[in-house]
Amino acid sequence: MAGLSLQHIWKKYPNGYEAVKDFNLEIADKEFIIFVGPSGCGKSTTLRMIAGLEDISSGVMKIGDRVVNDVESKDRDIAMVFQNYALYPHMTVYDNMGFALKLKKTPKDQIDKAVREAAKILELEKVLDRRPAQLSGGQRQRVAMGRAIVRNPRVFLMDEPLSNLDAKLRVQMRAEIARLHDRLGATIIYVTHDQTEAMTLGTRIVVMKDGIIQQVDSPTILYNQPGNLFVAGFIGSPQMNFFEAAFNGKGLEAGGIEFALPDEKAAVLREKGYTDKIVIAGIRPENVHDAKVESLQKLTAPFSAKVNVFELLGSEVLLYFDFADAAMSAKVGQGSRAAVGDEVSFAFDMEKIHVFDKETELAIVH
Amino acid sequence: MKSQNERRRTFLLISIPILLLFFGFNTLPLIKGFIYSFTNFRGYGSYEWVGWRNYADLFTDTRVGNSYWFTFKLAIVATILINILSLIMALALNSKIRFKSFLRGMYFIPNILGALVVGYIFSYIFTYILPAITRTASMLADKNLAWIAIVIVCAWQSIAMNTLIYISGLQTVPEDVYEAASLDGATGWNKFRYITFPLIMPFFTINMVLCMKNNLMVFDQIMALTNGGPAQSTESISFLIYNNGMAGGQFGFQSANAVIFFIVIVTVSVLQMRFLNKREEQL
Repeated sequence: MAGLSLQHIWKKYPNGYEAVKDFNLEIADKEFIIFVGPSGCGKSTTLRMIAGLEDISSGVMKIGDRVVNDVESKDRDIAMVFQNYALYPHMTVYDNMGFALKLKKTPKDQIDKAVREAAKILELEKVLDRRPAQLSGGQRQRVAMGRAIVRNPRVFLMDEPLSNLDAKLRVQMRAEIARLHDRLGATIIYVTHDQTEAMTLGTRIVVMKDGIIQQVDSPTILYNQPGNLFVAGFIGSPQMNFFEAAFNGKGLEAGGIEFALPDEKAAVLREKGYTDKIVIAGIRPENVHDAKVESLQKLTAPFSAKVNVFELLGSEVLLYFDFADAAMSAKVGQGSRAAVGDEVSFAFDMEKIHVFDKETELAIVH
Repeated sequence: MKSQNERRRTFLLISIPILLLFFGFNTLPLIKGFIYSFTNFRGYGSYEWVGWRNYADLFTDTRVGNSYWFTFKLAIVATILINILSLIMALALNSKIRFKSFLRGMYFIPNILGALVVGYIFSYIFTYILPAITRTASMLADKNLAWIAIVIVCAWQSIAMNTLIYISGLQTVPEDVYEAASLDGATGWNKFRYITFPLIMPFFTINMVLCMKNNLMVFDQIMALTNGGPAQSTESISFLIYNNGMAGGQFGFQSANAVIFFIVIVTVSVLQMRFLNKREEQL
């Protein structure tokens, strides 16, 4: 196992398109790193550069202490799980998993041991002599994992490995991958566009957009202290509510209502010179409360709005409404009796409000 | 209901003429040929029934025996040569190179030329150009070498189609399978042997069967290049059937030859399919 170091990595295509721009990241040994972002953000390209399937336009990439820019894929000591599994259709599960070792001229008994061990971990023992076409989606996914495990590589790369599975299987495999990471103590780099996968699996998450890293942090920090508007909107479901507000030195004014900010937040804003300026406020749906149900002391300045959509999620209810020219949502307890068309009294938990600069979109205070 | 009647009428209008033509020019001659194979018909005049005698004679006739030897030698050598070369061509034309489409078009040209035309061009090359360069007698005049000239011409023309089929086969292999293989350490020959070739096996089968069949029926190239010579060394079975059947007064005898030849080709093709299909993977 080994860590990775990516220094000023760029990917430029001959037509001038820049898929990855100045990518800097140190990945520690045994870390579970997630690259997440919308499609076209450069996350897969970065992964493929690590795998050696794409050339690096400029920058330095190290695996362990070795610069691997010009090292061929097969000599980088990495294994990759592909989105479509890329199993060898003409080989049995056993041969698929043992193929890399066979090419390395590993003795047969060692191959056998490695394959059977991986098959045991992944519960593939009963299908070892089947071909990929005879397997279910979940089993194929496991074979792809097995093929990587058998090689005992320094780094595992996974390119949206769960995106072809149905929802139930995806949750199950997600747990299995987490278990596998603990068991193997491997360095894993995992690409996904699914933020739930990112939040549940990663020790650190790299959020990307347009080829640029937006933020690298643990799931908790990403969720609670997003660095900019994009990260705030991308992480979390349903997404964070945003609205424009004026800062008057003490609180935020929006929709004709003044929301008093906690002292420490107001102090930061004053210090940074945002007094009498327009900022963007962000609040997660779970921090927007139905004032009737949760009549807490800290909920200040209730306002009323008409419910447009009512969604029952099971344990919770989502209420959609308009406020200060923005579409917003609130995640409230089942106790809410609100129905579509009702005027409901909402209140923000101002302790949890995020404030962003309108121009730079960077977070000012959380 | 009206439209159904109309559809039926269109169906009959289209299919009946073709059926008649097919019967008239294919089925009927086939049946007549089969009947003639039991006679001593010379192609003209009167004839008598001779029962199985033509068939018995076939197996003792040295000229027929020689033509079988020549035809199979040519077909086997040409089929192997064509498939090796067209696989290499397909791999090259499927790689990331410039002017790929243009080159694919260029290399396909031999296929659209008539076999006779190609034959005559090569005849000119073998008769005048090559001897001038090598300062030896023409290959076509040497009874030990003439068959090689025919192999070359057959190969030159067939490679185009076979390459095309292999290219389409190569395109069925997903890119990520190659990527997975290169991460697993398969490069060059190993990649071809363990990944590419097994995955295009169905295309290999069809190419081998079609190629073998076409080469067994070699005719035009011989008409253009050697006319069966020198010293009957390049008489293929088809050529012998045509030559001696039409012009040599052996219509009945060569009809029997044709019937046997038909059975031989079907047998060879079926055996090939059986053997190669077994190796084809259930994907």
